[in-house]
Order: sequence, then structure tokens, then C-alpha cells
Amino acid sequence: MPEVLKPDSLKILNNPSQEPQWREDFPIRWENDHYVTRRELAKFLTLGSAFLVIANVVMAFFGKFRGAEQYPRAFVANASAIPESGSMLFRYPTDRDPCILVRAKSGELRAYSQTCTHLSCAVVHRAQDGVLSCPCHMGLFSETEGRPVAGPPIRPLPRILLDQQGDQVFAIGVEV
Amino acid sequence: METRQQGQTMFTGILLLIGTVIIVQLWLVGASMDALLAHETEILIPAAIISFLGLLLNAGLLYYIHDFDKRVRRSNPAR
Repeated sequence: MPEVLKPDSLKILNNPSQEPQWREDFPIRWENDHYVTRRELAKFLTLGSAFLVIANVVMAFFGKFRGAEQYPRAFVANASAIPESGSMLFRYPTDRDPCILVRAKSGELRAYSQTCTHLSCAVVHRAQDGVLSCPCHMGLFSETEGRPVAGPPIRPLPRILLDQQGDQVFAIGVEV
Repeated sequence: METRQQGQTMFTGILLLIGTVIIVQLWLVGASMDALLAHETEILIPAAIISFLGLLLNAGLLYYIHDFDKRVRRSNPAR
């Protein structure tokens, strides 16, 4: 009669002191397999360091070889249509880029991207304070320069370059 | 002091150094991303060079660990 192989569990029941067969075949314990030595941690950290260098090099590459962007010339508004301390919204350079044209207290026309440089909410003109205000986190930008003056934003609003021909105001570029 | 104890102190110090360098590199990546978005491209290459120097330092420390291990094993094969 052929010998019937007993499962490991039965072997252990018959002889509790004996290790099951699979334990002899795979002698590495689970906890040992997952144990990370300090040497392995040092290797892992150095590998992470290499990835960070790659990220920096990729960014440097993009910064170096990205060509100057070409912007179209687009009609924005008639200057006479913007009253003192008034503002109007327009889109430039594409229909997906909201911008705001403001007449500063000094009477000059200025235009900026309407997208807050903090978390991309739309800024609004607060003429009485001479600022562009982001209502999400109360970020404030100067209406004359677009630089952040209060709140969480740290980068200025991209400025839309304007060209005035008579009464007509054209957008000709974006200065980031 | 016994070599093993020395090794433990050394390892802790080296891991702290590597960790510090990585934190600096992480900061450099964040600052570079910010600069790239602001079109301030002049700082990107120096940041990449400094990050690379950090990697060289980390690699040197890792090499030192391996070299130290080799020397310890050679002097005491039982370990």
C-alpha cells in the first residue's frame, strides 16, 4: 500500500517539537525578511538622494532650454471705458486665462493675471484700498506692481503687458 | 572603545548626516520648482549642482560604511 503523506499540521500534532517541512524549505522568518538594517536604510536614502538630483537636473534642463513664449496681440478694451479706480475682466493669451484690467489710483492702466499665485483663486479689485484681493485666503496684491503685500501669496501676479494706441488698449505679452 | 560600539556611533552619525543632506536636497527641489514657475531660471543650475554635491557626499558616506564593514569583517571573520 503506498504511503500517504500527512499534512504538516498533522506532523506537528504528532510531534509538536518537530518543525514543519516548509519551515526547513524556507528557513527565513517573516520578521527577518522585513527587517531593514541601517546599511539598507543608508542605501535607500542615497538612492532617494539620487532621485532628488535627477528632479533638480530635469528642472534646470527645462529652465535652460525652454524657449521664449510668443504672445499674440489682442484687443482688450477702450481706455475711456475704464473709469477711475475701475476694472474689467478679459482673457489673455487664451480663453482659459482670466485677467483683470485695472485703472490704478494714479490713473495708469495695469493688467494682471486674475489667478492668485497662492492657490489659483480669482483675485478681485478693491479700489478703495488700491489692491487686488484674493477672497480665498485674504491674499493682497499691489494694484500698481502686482507684488504680494499681505496674506499667503509669495509670488507676484503675472503682469499682462499693454500697448495703448489712442483709446484702444492691446495686450501684447505676459511678464511672469 | 570596542569596534562594534564605535561602529554604532559612527552609523548613527552617518545616517544623521545623510538625512540632513536629503532634507537640504528636498528644500532645493521645492525652491527650484517655485523658481521655475516664477520663470527665475538663473538659480536652477546652481541648485542642481549643489544637489549633485549632496549626492556625492551621500555616496561617499555610503562607500565609507561599506569600506568600514569590509575592514571589520576582515579583522574579525566571525562577524
